[in-house]
Amino acid sequence: MLNQLLTPSLLTAATLAIACAVLSVFVVLRRWSFIGEGISHSTLGGAGTAWMLGLMFPAIEQSRLPYVAILVIAFSFATAMVIGMITRRQRVHPDAAIGIFLVSSLAWGFLAQAIYFHQRRATPAGWDTFLFGDIEHLDRHFAVAVAVLSAAVVTTVCLLGKEMIYCAFDADMAETSGVRAGAIHYLLLALLAIVIVVGVQVAGSVLIPAMLILPGTVALQLSKKLRDVFILSVGVGLLGALGGLLCHRQWNYVPVGPAIVLTLFVIFLATWTTRRIV
Amino acid sequence: MRPLVDIRDLDFAYSDTPVLKKIALTVDQGSTMGLIGPNGGGKTTLVKLLTGRLQPTRGQILIDGLAPLNAVRRGDRIGYLPQNPRVETNFPLSVRQAIVLGLAGKTGMLRRYAKADLAYVDSLIERIGIAAIADEPIGSLSGGQLQRALIARALAPKPRLLIMDEPTTGIDARGQQAFIEFINALKKELDLTVIFVSHDLRAVTSMSDRIACLNVTLHYHDVPQHLPADLVYRMFACDLEAAGIKSSAGPLTGPFVPLMAKN
Repeated sequence: MLNQLLTPSLLTAATLAIACAVLSVFVVLRRWSFIGEGISHSTLGGAGTAWMLGLMFPAIEQSRLPYVAILVIAFSFATAMVIGMITRRQRVHPDAAIGIFLVSSLAWGFLAQAIYFHQRRATPAGWDTFLFGDIEHLDRHFAVAVAVLSAAVVTTVCLLGKEMIYCAFDADMAETSGVRAGAIHYLLLALLAIVIVVGVQVAGSVLIPAMLILPGTVALQLSKKLRDVFILSVGVGLLGALGGLLCHRQWNYVPVGPAIVLTLFVIFLATWTTRRIV
Repeated sequence: MRPLVDIRDLDFAYSDTPVLKKIALTVDQGSTMGLIGPNGGGKTTLVKLLTGRLQPTRGQILIDGLAPLNAVRRGDRIGYLPQNPRVETNFPLSVRQAIVLGLAGKTGMLRRYAKADLAYVDSLIERIGIAAIADEPIGSLSGGQLQRALIARALAPKPRLLIMDEPTTGIDARGQQAFIEFINALKKELDLTVIFVSHDLRAVTSMSDRIACLNVTLHYHDVPQHLPADLVYRMFACDLEAAGIKSSAGPLTGPFVPLMAKN
């Protein structure tokens, strides 16, 4: 019975939603929404590079090597670290730098897709998935891997909670109090890169940032108590993920990614309106 | 008395622009040193060097026998009150939780706060007079309350040195007097060494055992009572003239002669 209910898509959406919701509190508190966008769009840049390599070296494409996944992961982590350096040192204005990465990755992904289509008369493998996600075709192994990764993300946040909260509150003061603020800064970006790479399979690179922004935003509207904010954020994230899946099950033509994001948006709108009325 | 802070032959430059030159000064354990100087004179840079956020171009700083970065990373050597502290109004932390964060460096990664440290924070909250607001959100405090909370955070790990960067800026004369009395009482009670950075001369002279006048180089390092009036005028001439204030001695003329060279 439990086995039937716990489908790969449900397990993936639920565990990913929990990890995203926990990180969402930091994303909102540190004003990193745009960073999430930058990292998520870099996945398309990574995929574009993989498609180009596939065209240049057909042997790679024919091999069983998961070269697209490897390059997507590499691009996401590299982008996260570069954005980390820029935001920490502030030699270039962070907003501008992230914007440049974001549009360049998108442009490179679209260009690579167009070249691939021109050469092969077919869209490259995973094109639709990168844009909009494809949760229905995930297997149980992938779902278990997502659950393990999500658990690792949440455990890391629990173990380094005081340092992460201090850095979100006042990174300079945290450093002056003896906290390794630089290490925490890059670690948090690496955790974001992990959930984004995985989340692209669920909601796509265009929509995954919403799962990192909306739960934390809603929770921070509802409470000013730290523990409550994390619990509420996880609750909102789960509600959005399960609501989106339910919509998809009910109306098969509704894609899961947009359904999750719109469910989260409705929750945001409801809490925002209620707070202004009450 | 053993110096807690020992600065030897210190130079610092941003690229090719010298900001501090040949600074040598000591701060005795249990004393208060007031650091004054005009805007752009290098006060904030010296604070950054003392808190390990910048590294000297030349020379050495020792705090309790440790290099500043090592002293900071110990978590219980330096307490720091920043200039113009700002807090997000909707940050989900109570005053007590924000103060406890000051223990994070001392406690270390992957460890829980020690019970004795948490008990000390509670006693500090009582002592500093913010027990009634300890469970309020940190973002809801007034300027004076926030300053007290941030002093409590700086003192939470029982540091030996408290560095305060322009703590009286924006506080009226009565508030300043209350702040000075408060810090003096805390200093005695907790056996603190204090470095008090300001360009508010009245505040600095009324609470410091020694004064250091800084404008790229060190122009004076002695007790406040011997501070020459003409040095004060020369040091702050730019600031005064920018504010449209002229000295009774008339406008500043002639080349600036560092007082140390005169002496």
